[in-house]
Amino acid sequence: MSMFRLDQVLMSTAIAAMIVFAAVSKSEESLNLISLILIWGLFAIGFDLIFGMAGMLSFGHAAMFGAGGYALALLAPQLGFVPSLLVAAVAGAVLAFLLSVFALRVSGLFFSLLTLALAQLVYILASTKLRAFTGGLDGIPGVLRPALFGVDFFNNRNYFYFLVVVFVIGVAIMAVLRVSPFGSALKAVQANDVRAEQIGYHVQRLRQCAFMISGAYAGVSGALLASLMFYVSPQMLHWSTSGDVLIMTLLGGKGTLLGPVLGVAVFEVLKEELSQFTEHWYGILGIVFILCTIFLPKGIAGLFAVFGRIGKGASK
Amino acid sequence: MSTIVIGLSLSFLLFLLAAGLTLIFGMLGVINFAHGALYMLGAYVCYQIVHWTGSFWIGLAFAPLVVAALGAAMEVITLRPVYNRDHIYQLLLTFGFILVIEESVRLIWGLDYKQVPTPALFSQPIALFGSQIPSYRLFIIGFGALVSVLLFLLLDRSRLGMVIRAASSDSEMAQTLGVDVSKVRTAVFALGSGLAALGGVVAAPLVPIELGMGFSVIIDCFVVVIIGGLGNIKGAIFAALLLGMARAAGFTYAPEWVELITFVLLIATLMTRPAGLFSRKGRAA
Repeated sequence: MSMFRLDQVLMSTAIAAMIVFAAVSKSEESLNLISLILIWGLFAIGFDLIFGMAGMLSFGHAAMFGAGGYALALLAPQLGFVPSLLVAAVAGAVLAFLLSVFALRVSGLFFSLLTLALAQLVYILASTKLRAFTGGLDGIPGVLRPALFGVDFFNNRNYFYFLVVVFVIGVAIMAVLRVSPFGSALKAVQANDVRAEQIGYHVQRLRQCAFMISGAYAGVSGALLASLMFYVSPQMLHWSTSGDVLIMTLLGGKGTLLGPVLGVAVFEVLKEELSQFTEHWYGILGIVFILCTIFLPKGIAGLFAVFGRIGKGASK
Repeated sequence: MSTIVIGLSLSFLLFLLAAGLTLIFGMLGVINFAHGALYMLGAYVCYQIVHWTGSFWIGLAFAPLVVAALGAAMEVITLRPVYNRDHIYQLLLTFGFILVIEESVRLIWGLDYKQVPTPALFSQPIALFGSQIPSYRLFIIGFGALVSVLLFLLLDRSRLGMVIRAASSDSEMAQTLGVDVSKVRTAVFALGSGLAALGGVVAAPLVPIELGMGFSVIIDCFVVVIIGGLGNIKGAIFAALLLGMARAAGFTYAPEWVELITFVLLIATLMTRPAGLFSRKGRAA
């Protein structure tokens, strides 16, 4: 247990250091980069609730991510920012519920296929049939930033602090969820769903709840991204968004609370660095992803766990 | 009439792809996400061969072989080390292939649309039952039927097919009886990749060759295998016919909604027969 704690501490320190670095650094680029990491980090944390905890591989999270973005873009002018952010969470959860009605009729790899197909349906609808609301492929420009306490959140630095607050709340809620009986039940479902069913858990309902919570996280992070960019478009709903969050989570370490955030950080930094000297960075990322899948299945969090063990050995 | 021909040609195209996907699943237990990327690669390699030699038929003969060889290499290098892990890792690897294949294609051929001309033999439409039928569509139907029959003969009648079926149903037992299962896996992955590429080559004269072509087709392909029941080749034929005909009818009567037909069929199947139309037992992949 103490070993487990040590790598948790190391990971939180790394993330805290990153936030402090953005706060004291004068560079606009690193501020923007770390804002992106916080937003995608929130997305990945939510994604890991179903991927790492419940063992469900969803290829459809882009749908909830985009739904959150559109909800905020459309509602913020009427409702104000923070209520719209809550609506974005609800929109993500409701869409997740709708997808789960179909996708949870099958399990295992079929679940992945179905979430992919259904998210593609959402993408097609948003870019063609619902053009009146979504602006079609052009998207919606001019998405608002929060208006609170008279602070100017159109200033990127102030918006960054807003992101830090939302991020910390999101991590705290997820930390509680993971150690709650609900979290243990999800682990039981992942380990053996038949046995979990037999000892009295309602497996489908647990999966559905987890998927909806995960959808709510996706909705909030999508809304935050739309606000950071001042823009929302069907690109957020594109299947590659679902792929990106999967890569990030696996890179960081599935089944851990903070691993996915580190995965996001590595992903975004790699993207930033690689794209400076080659436009084919996505292919290199693919190779990194393949290598990590083969040689580092526990991700960066797995490395931290090794450090933790060494640290524990040395303290004896 | 032309609706029926277009529908049938689309069905056979889908079947070529779904057959490869379902074969790989039956043997390796993995859904190959990169199937659409291999299909796209087949079309690009065909374009390149046509560009060099001027003959579509050389492309048809060699592009699938090139992609099959690549598939075998991918299987040996990346998938082989992780068979004893959870199936999710194999799925993730095939997802990684997509990124690498797409980026390599962009690197080699760039972003422009490519075009493969319809082979001269089939460039003229044929008058049939009072309507003009593009003869290349008829070729696809004939060729698709031929490949399907060969595939059935291979799997059902040949010694190799017997080995594949044995290793699919119980790989440990087959291993014990002296079958080199890891070679069979490589062969099946190569065969599936080759079929995907064959689909790409056959489709090449019909569609603009571009990076996105793989993804749009893979969704239809997944829908075919879900409706037909994964690992079930006969189910895949019927599902491919159903989807192909439905899409062709959609193009004719409701072109606005054709993109949604696939999903309507998928959802209708899941609500009525969640295990696929042709599967008897429940499904836990």
